[in-house]
Amino acid sequence: MHPVATALGTVMHPVATAPGTVMTYNDSVPANVLGNKWSGYGGAVVGSALVTAVLAPFHQQINSTTVALAFLLVVLFVALFWGSRPALLASVLGVFSLNYFFLPPLYTLSISHPQNWIALAAFFTTALAVGQLSARAKRRAEEAEAASQEIQRLYQELQSAFERASHAEALRQSEKLKSALLDAVTHDLRTPLTSIKASITTLLDEIRGRSPDDQIVALDAESRREMMEVIDEESDRLNRFISGLIELARIEAGELHLQRRWGTVEEIISTALARAENLTRAHQVILNVESELPVVRVDERAVSEVVYTLVDNAAKYSPEGTSINISARRSGDGMVTMSVADQGKGITPDLRERVFDKFFRATRDGDISTHQPSGTGMGLAIAKGIIEAHDGRIWIESANGPGTRVVFTLPIGDEEFTGEADYAAEPKQVV
Amino acid sequence: MNDKPRILVVDDEPQLTRVLRTGLKSRGYDVRAAADGLAGFETFSDWHPDLVVTDLAMPNMDGLELCRRLRAVSQVPIIILSAKGEEKIKVEALDLGADDFVTKPFGIDELLARIRASLRRAKSQPGSEPEQAVLQVGDFQIDQAARNVMVRGQEVHLTPKEFDLLIYFVRHSGKVLTHHTLLAAVWGGNYVEQDQYLRVFVGNLRKKLESEDLNKRYLITEPWVGYRFNPHGTQV
Repeated sequence: MHPVATALGTVMHPVATAPGTVMTYNDSVPANVLGNKWSGYGGAVVGSALVTAVLAPFHQQINSTTVALAFLLVVLFVALFWGSRPALLASVLGVFSLNYFFLPPLYTLSISHPQNWIALAAFFTTALAVGQLSARAKRRAEEAEAASQEIQRLYQELQSAFERASHAEALRQSEKLKSALLDAVTHDLRTPLTSIKASITTLLDEIRGRSPDDQIVALDAESRREMMEVIDEESDRLNRFISGLIELARIEAGELHLQRRWGTVEEIISTALARAENLTRAHQVILNVESELPVVRVDERAVSEVVYTLVDNAAKYSPEGTSINISARRSGDGMVTMSVADQGKGITPDLRERVFDKFFRATRDGDISTHQPSGTGMGLAIAKGIIEAHDGRIWIESANGPGTRVVFTLPIGDEEFTGEADYAAEPKQVV
Repeated sequence: MNDKPRILVVDDEPQLTRVLRTGLKSRGYDVRAAADGLAGFETFSDWHPDLVVTDLAMPNMDGLELCRRLRAVSQVPIIILSAKGEEKIKVEALDLGADDFVTKPFGIDELLARIRASLRRAKSQPGSEPEQAVLQVGDFQIDQAARNVMVRGQEVHLTPKEFDLLIYFVRHSGKVLTHHTLLAAVWGGNYVEQDQYLRVFVGNLRKKLESEDLNKRYLITEPWVGYRFNPHGTQV
């Protein structure tokens, strides 16, 4: 027992200090590898010593084959945990211990029966083979494990590379979209500005009396008025465009604060028509509003804006003298359905969704090749925002005949609306 | 009928054609307007204007295609109305033979100045002018046979390529010349991408022709487009 304890002490000592000390000598070798190696030899010594210590007192009762198998087990475990060299040490220790403690004559290294020489040689050979084979198996397993980890790492690297690439692509796409929108906006801002600037410089030249090349510039009253009109109209156009931009930005930011109140559909329509009076002068407006429509709880100003936009579009994109049909009726599902129809060229099915995109203009961006007055490209996008904020829906119906028919729905809204607290304080008109 | 210069304005923006029609008429021009390239080309064929002012982005036929069609049948001066951000198409239009450009938004004076210059140039070159032995323009007197250049009465020594480049500038005084056009005309078609050649030669010409204490520039850079030659010098 004593030698074992000594061996344990001397062998185990470096293991405890290995991580620090070894690292200072050789930075390229990880400390735990050396530690494992030394603990392997330690394991071989401890394992053999344990088997000897446990079995030696009983050497009378058990036969030497059992003892040899126990030593083989030690070799096997040492090989599996620490590899072939510690296993070799375990084999040698096993042979020595078997011979010294178990094979007669005991406590000598001599052997009395020649057959025990054969047994000992067989044991040693088997132990060697077991040690080498199991160590090799272990190494293979480790290599396979390392390879699979490497594959996993490469795969993750590849995956994150792909993710980065697709993220960059998405970013590029959104940048592209942004710059396309910016182009559309700058075009719409610059166009009225160009007319205004040209008008004003024409007027200024006249005030100066002479042009830079010393020609006398004279504008008749008619021309002067025309220049002023252009400035007036184009300033309004700029203002409309900017208001539209702001409205659109609000809708997109989810900041459209609806001022819901109870109101009648007739009132909403008539407000819109009064505003659109100048636009619809050349058209015949036909109203078809169902009698006894319930009052609706909506933001009247906003919905009236939607009706105005639709009537404006109808007047713009249909020939003079044709009619514009406005209808409102109750649909079964607690909704009021309204529509504005014109007798213009109509919108091809493939563009019917896109016209609700901001800055999309069928006359410019689509394939409608006739030259028509164009709007801001925001009217329908804003209308859609307003209707959807009311939990309604807006779409272009496929009409049988020519013309465009824009339909939208609005929930009637009941008294148990899930409105905010401030609405509750408002007086409610009961149907 | 009358001798008022005829100007055709092609733009899809009705308010702008309205202003230009009035503004140009008040300066003694006869004006017609068209809303797109196709209508513009038709008006051109019927009416034979002396000058065409055209927008670039238009439905049906854009300004670029209009330039191409016009150049196929006529040498009428073309002035382009372009917006910032349309530089690429603008250069393309100039390469196709457009004479000048005005950037939106513009003052009417700027447009009128370009119109006058283009009309003057068109008048001064009826067909191909006979090879004059001595060119006399602005501060320049150039003896083509002797390849001798005098600027403000002083002789200047130029290399053969510098001389060719100067002659080309002088012959196209006041006109915007794209990098592409200059390279093709002076160095030949294989060099049209060699912008740096041009930059070096224009730099050398400037050093030899322009004098610092005069604060005058003869070779004016049109950023991203090319150069314009002013034989009288532009004050800087």
